[in-house]
Amino acid sequence: MPWIEHKIADGVSVLYLEGTWRLSNLTAISGALRELGLRVPDRRVVLDGSRLRELDTAAGFILFRHLELLGCNGSTLSVRGFDRRYMRLLALVHERMKCPPAAARSMHLDLVQRVGAATIRLWHLLKTHNAFIGIVSLDSLNLFRSPKLFRAKETVSQFEAVGLDAIPIVTLVTFLIGVVFAYLLGVQAERFGANIFVVDGVGLAVCRELSPLLAAVIVAGRSGAAFTAQIGTMKVQEEIDAIRTLGLSPIQVLVIPRLVAIMIALPLLVFVGDVAGIAGGMLVSAWQLDIPAALFTARLHAVLPMSAFIVGLAKAPVFAAFIAMIACRMGMLVARDARSVGENTTSTVVQSIVWVIVLDAVFAVVFQRLGV
Amino acid sequence: MDMVLEVNSIVTRFGSEVIHDGVSFSVKGGEVVALIGGSGTGKSVLLKEVIGLMRPCGGEVHLLGTDVWNSSEDEMNALRRRFGMLFQDGALFSSLTVAENIAVPFREHTNLSADIISSLVGFNLDLVGLTADTGRKSPAQLSGGMRKRVALARALTLEPEILFLDEPTSGLDPVGARAFDKLVRVLSDSFGLTVFLVTHDLDTLLSIIDRAIALSGGRVIADGPVDEVMRIDHPWIRDYFSARAAVVQGGS
Repeated sequence: MPWIEHKIADGVSVLYLEGTWRLSNLTAISGALRELGLRVPDRRVVLDGSRLRELDTAAGFILFRHLELLGCNGSTLSVRGFDRRYMRLLALVHERMKCPPAAARSMHLDLVQRVGAATIRLWHLLKTHNAFIGIVSLDSLNLFRSPKLFRAKETVSQFEAVGLDAIPIVTLVTFLIGVVFAYLLGVQAERFGANIFVVDGVGLAVCRELSPLLAAVIVAGRSGAAFTAQIGTMKVQEEIDAIRTLGLSPIQVLVIPRLVAIMIALPLLVFVGDVAGIAGGMLVSAWQLDIPAALFTARLHAVLPMSAFIVGLAKAPVFAAFIAMIACRMGMLVARDARSVGENTTSTVVQSIVWVIVLDAVFAVVFQRLGV
Repeated sequence: MDMVLEVNSIVTRFGSEVIHDGVSFSVKGGEVVALIGGSGTGKSVLLKEVIGLMRPCGGEVHLLGTDVWNSSEDEMNALRRRFGMLFQDGALFSSLTVAENIAVPFREHTNLSADIISSLVGFNLDLVGLTADTGRKSPAQLSGGMRKRVALARALTLEPEILFLDEPTSGLDPVGARAFDKLVRVLSDSFGLTVFLVTHDLDTLLSIIDRAIALSGGRVIADGPVDEVMRIDHPWIRDYFSARAAVVQGGS
């Protein structure tokens, strides 16, 4: 369909608009406008709407924009033969021709800018984490002065979600790791006929490193993410502001119960992990390495120092405190939109797991130096 | 003019609770019609049933000649491009900037070049009284009134034949609310746009509405020009309009 026809009459360019000038045909229309080859801005241009069937703002806008690019302006352009409704529409569109285009794509930063922006963000985050730890510490001290403010019920229900509900998954994971570890160790030990040393290896590795690390990673993924999502959603719904206006401290209501719950739950989960991991090792030893369970336990008693077991348990509350702090902080930092809940939850899991592993490395070095 | 929207004896029940007990009305092209009623009379539910988001227990809805609840998904998709809906809180996509939000319908339903789209987005922003700067912001950075304007711009992008507004002025200050009303009226007059809105706002009702439909007790209790509806003798209508009179008297 010829959307537009150009005729010259009495030294005036007449543009006849034809057909349905609607958004759905806009690609064809702008193509037709480009092919028009109208190039004489000093001649008067008349728009004729008598053949027009329909017109909408988008099409009107594109028409005016094109004419403007060709150098037409208010003094050289006139219109005739339009329906009254379309005249109003054209007037409305014409008033708005000066409006600048709005970039419909977000800005894309280059590599250096992105690295820079990420670094600055990280720095701010670490700085505010410190401030947050300060606030939580002060509020905890307050609790010692007035213990009635402690929310036992909330703490217990959080403990149930963080601790009890995580027992099956922690058991399964540590058990399987115990199996894998004993198997790998056994393959090596068998070559030297040193089967029995598998017990030493499994006991030490599970109690001292594997169980604390795995339990912490599982809790970070499970409960850390849950904390951020819960608190973040409350932030979006302005519930945190409501808590504050009611004269309560969001730290005492939301953060401390979670912090206490997770600090009690994680050592217990580590203990569960110790038992399950050793059970896994015992199973493989009995099957593959001809070490009966009785021999395994006797050897374990003889070689596993109590200190290794305690070191494993002692690391757990520290991991737990970091996970709770990061998770609650990220929840509080959620902006008032749905996307930021997701972003902060992701960030919580990443930060918690990284911190757990960093802390574990620090502990390994420190305990080595201390000779524990 | 033809009927743009026809609603025939809609029945809605939630469990044993009857929300609509045979609601019928129609809207002509180019009209600005308000649906009023107390809280819990099912105004927003009715709106959802009209635009095909929630199936009524009985009755028929004909929107722009399409039977909303007896059409194929293709017919409904074609219909969805012909009406615009403004949700109560704007329902902007939080992961996109304002300009990207407005560009979504262009991107999804047309194959225009990026250059043309950004000009059209700028035009639409200007149409609802926002500057091109606003386009770069994210919805979280906007005030309630601006969010509604952006949502209106998005609802207008595909040049709808009928526009549905769910409490367009709730949460706006009186000045912002009147400006929004005026904008809706101007758009309706200029584009011959049919507007169907749910509102509690008496000022909206008294300033830009051609016709009001009042819901009460699951039925339409009044349907006509606002000054006629005002005179109907019904307890809820009396209370509704006298609340306004009380405010005016108290102020003077």
